[in-house]
Amino acid sequence: MASKSDNTAARPVSAKVVVSGGFGVGKTTFVSAVSEIAPLRTEAKMTSAATGVDDATFVQQKTSTTVAMDFGKITVDEGLVLYVFGTPGQDRFGFMWNDITAGALGALILVDTRRLDECFNAIDFFESRDVPFIIGLNQFDGAPEHDPELIREALDLSDAVPIMRTDARTPDTALDTLVALLSHILESLSAAAAASPTPAPDSREPDREAPVVSDAQRSAAMSALAAERG
Amino acid sequence: MSHVEEESGSFVRSYLLTGGRTRSDAGDIAIEAMVAVSPDSSAPRDIDLARIYDLCAEPNSIAEISAKCSLPLGVARVLVADLWGAGTLEILETTRSDDIAIVRRLLDGIQKR
Ligand SMILES: Nc1nc2c(ncn2[C@@H]2O[C@H](COP(=O)(O)OP(=O)(O)OP(=O)(O)O)[C@@H](O)[C@H]2O)c(=O)[nH]1
Ligand SMILES: [Mg+2]
Repeated sequence: MASKSDNTAARPVSAKVVVSGGFGVGKTTFVSAVSEIAPLRTEAKMTSAATGVDDATFVQQKTSTTVAMDFGKITVDEGLVLYVFGTPGQDRFGFMWNDITAGALGALILVDTRRLDECFNAIDFFESRDVPFIIGLNQFDGAPEHDPELIREALDLSDAVPIMRTDARTPDTALDTLVALLSHILESLSAAAAASPTPAPDSREPDREAPVVSDAQRSAAMSALAAERG
Repeated sequence: MSHVEEESGSFVRSYLLTGGRTRSDAGDIAIEAMVAVSPDSSAPRDIDLARIYDLCAEPNSIAEISAKCSLPLGVARVLVADLWGAGTLEILETTRSDDIAIVRRLLDGIQKR
């Protein structure tokens, strides 16, 4: 291992939060509203190597599904960067969700009040993983303004989950929503710390050893790359 | 894996060269983990690896490397893991999801905007 630089300013620590919700609720719009860079898009390809070969079919087909996620970045101070990842709309809680949510501080679940049921799965996902989250009601044109408490009932959410109106198109409003999320995360962590003074070790402690790249990973990566380059 | 054997060229060779690492899995590298060039390292010869190396003169996350170099996420991870194993790149710390001090700092910093 090369020696570590003492220049911490040039070597920031990074954190992430997630923007989630159903299809077309404004996730990408929200990411671009809060991000200091134009949102970036990264893709992961599920090829046969990653998904497993379907022995039942004789047709030699390589299932290759592209899943894309958008993300933005906020440099909080010299040594701290926050990434804001939007969950992919076209991947219903698939493998990319694990990458996006693992180690996340918390999540904003955006809701279009005309299509409440779209967010049920996202709520279940973060609830079951004990990831703190808040609900942002995106006010779409022509949508009736609902009382947040009625929404709480409809979504079967505990009083502990903040529900607030937001507008993903307006940076100031979106930043306020992000601040609300961080406040909620802080509250949740403080409550948890008070309940159990010795926190459980985080399995995502940075591992200082270089990771093993398995042959399977290499070959999956190579196929993906070959596909990428035609 | 016939698919891999069919591949040729310096990229694949350099890709398959490094070895001898221990412990965790490349798939475990967080997508928000930032990557920076190791002090006193030099650019890899391979053109794809060199692009990653150049980009990481400024720390960039795995997700950014993937987006900016147009590499699928899994590929970016494996390449970075290899360069890390070779001592060329370093992977910087990510926060623990229960780090209260970090959340306070995020809150303070973003509230000021
Ligand atoms: N009225 C209103 N429209 C919005 C708001 N946020 C987003 N939109 C619009 O809704 C549409 C979808 O927004 P996106 O940000 O692409 O939604 P998304 O959740 O990323 O969509 P998928 O990734 O396809 O699931 C766009 O036309 C936006 O301009 C909002 O707060 N209010
Ligand atoms: Mg989107």
